[in-house]
Amino acid sequence: MKPAPTLLSTAFLHPAGQALPEPLLALRKQRGAALVDMPMPTRKTENWKYSSKYLKLTDEMATSLPATGKTGSALAVPGYKVVFINGVVMPEASEYPDLDNIRIQRFGDLSDAEASELVERLDSTLDAKAVQFAGLNTARFEDGLVIRLKPDAVLDQPLFIIHEVTADSSGSAFPRIFVDAGRNSQLTLVEEYISSGQEAVFVNSVTEFTLAEGANVTNIRLSMGGENVQHIGATGVTQQRSSRFESHCVGFGGPLRRHDLRVRLEGKGAECKLNGVVVTQSTQHYDNHTTIEHVAPNCDSEETYRNIAADKSHAVFNGRIHIHPDAQKSNANMSNKNLLLSTGAEIDTKPELEIYADDVKCAHGATIGQLDEESLFYLVSRGIGRREANVLLTMAFINELVAQIPVEAVRDTVQARLNQFFDQTFQEA
Amino acid sequence: MLSIKNLHASVEGKEILKGINLEIKAGEVHAIMGPNGSGKSTLAQVLAGNDAFEVTSGSVTMNDEDLLEKETEERARDGVFLAFQYPVEIPGVSNLQFMRTSVNAMRHHRGEPEMNAAEFMKLAREISKQVDLDPAFLKRGVNEGFSGGEKKRNEIMQALMLQPKLAILDETDSGLDIDALKVVSDGVNALRAEDRAILMVTHYQRLLDHIVPDFVHVLADGKIVKSGGRELALELEDRGYAWLGIKDDETAASSALSNSAN
Repeated sequence: MKPAPTLLSTAFLHPAGQALPEPLLALRKQRGAALVDMPMPTRKTENWKYSSKYLKLTDEMATSLPATGKTGSALAVPGYKVVFINGVVMPEASEYPDLDNIRIQRFGDLSDAEASELVERLDSTLDAKAVQFAGLNTARFEDGLVIRLKPDAVLDQPLFIIHEVTADSSGSAFPRIFVDAGRNSQLTLVEEYISSGQEAVFVNSVTEFTLAEGANVTNIRLSMGGENVQHIGATGVTQQRSSRFESHCVGFGGPLRRHDLRVRLEGKGAECKLNGVVVTQSTQHYDNHTTIEHVAPNCDSEETYRNIAADKSHAVFNGRIHIHPDAQKSNANMSNKNLLLSTGAEIDTKPELEIYADDVKCAHGATIGQLDEESLFYLVSRGIGRREANVLLTMAFINELVAQIPVEAVRDTVQARLNQFFDQTFQEA
Repeated sequence: MLSIKNLHASVEGKEILKGINLEIKAGEVHAIMGPNGSGKSTLAQVLAGNDAFEVTSGSVTMNDEDLLEKETEERARDGVFLAFQYPVEIPGVSNLQFMRTSVNAMRHHRGEPEMNAAEFMKLAREISKQVDLDPAFLKRGVNEGFSGGEKKRNEIMQALMLQPKLAILDETDSGLDIDALKVVSDGVNALRAEDRAILMVTHYQRLLDHIVPDFVHVLADGKIVKSGGRELALELEDRGYAWLGIKDDETAASSALSNSAN
């Protein structure tokens, strides 16, 4: 007899505040009811095979963290800013324009009519079966941000979303964002996930993008939470004709870090470019699962992910490209390279191609290696110290991806975190 | 300047150097010649500090300091430079970043201030012209996509940038056409100085037409079997290594056979 699967504790199915329009409350309730028998992933769950052991949710972590606390975000950002604390938007800490053609609204501020419209579209970009925890976010969000760009609207500066979780007590946060990019609109959205406090917390975030014909959206996602934060996040994207989506995901490890990124190319001539950098150390974990669905013909996808694992850390990459029967003239490229900085580190990589059309160009490649001894010798033979030589070679592995991040302030933040990683990982001989 | 005494070294348990003795004074140019597998490149790598090679006995001192005790980077900072036979390609690290890091590591060691980007560029451009490399290469990855000749010129460029006390050139002539050989030789000749020693490792004597050595040594089976002046290289060119009884085993074996036949 098969043992009964462990289910998600019902303690996780009780949202706190009710300050949301009725249609959103109804949606939340409906999703919650559907999750009553949601099985927790185990190592037999295919898409959680390498990561289920890191997921350690306790009932103490089920309660929504209070939507207060001083915002640690004295963070100066070169653009507009919305601050979430524990999944709730802090209007007093946020700064963004109120424009006719670009509406940026909290879920709590929507009229019932606007909320009904949103309910129709929430979760439309993510397959609830494949991304189990996205449904949990919908059952639990306390607030959220909806960004609607009318046709031809262009946000003139990047919009930074600071997702801070204040872990002064155990609990959880469910940040939610929905972006509706109208025809030929343009947006750069930067998401930074950070934390303060030391108690064990769970963050379950979902960000969705729907791109209408010709829309051009860049999403930069920085995952930098603390050693007490288990974070499961999902990003869903649907793209109509000739739209372009560019993603830069930079993640630093933690006790559990999981990001599902799913892009559906639904309109002819759409293209996406997905870049990812993951750096893990000590006993940290990071798991990226990406899926690109080529549904329409003549679409291009290009995916480049790099993992660096030091000490006894564990990084996972699973990249799936699915070319549907009608998606002729698809052009898909996926590259995943992995660097192990110690013998105790582990990286698992699984590129998957499923092709049901015959006239396509698809390529994928995955490698795992260590720093090259000959290159190290060459550098030190020129008087460069061991530590610096290691840093140069490690940086060389991801330089190209860091350089492509289109916002300088984000590159600086990433470089500062990398420098910290190098200081902890490489010592002078 | 450099004193090598009874140097033995092995790789993966196999002895390659079997007692090298060599004295090199400042201002001198020495050439080490020998057939493939004689240990020439091993000697170069051991001097530079490649720990793939294990020194099993003997000593090497440079300016009366124990060289073998020092890490590779310390040797480099003390003035040892190895021009690699096969320079490594390092995509993702630009030549500019690499050389500037190197130059500044040396300056730091000497207690001098770092060279700023503008000063460095000026110097790099000048020297790249001297070795006939397009300065645009500075922005490319280290040796990335370089032809064999470009890689060798890049090695000489680095030597000119770093101004070492001891320059070891490992088969710097291999893979060069006659024009590139001229450029590289001019670069090496520009390095010749009163306070600098040059040790050239080469299989062919043609390099020595361009860079005239003060001394020539013949290495065979891990030992220096003959030393002389420049004329030794010419003699080798005429008569081949067999003249010195190299491939001694074969010769000995055949003569033993003919003796017993008689």
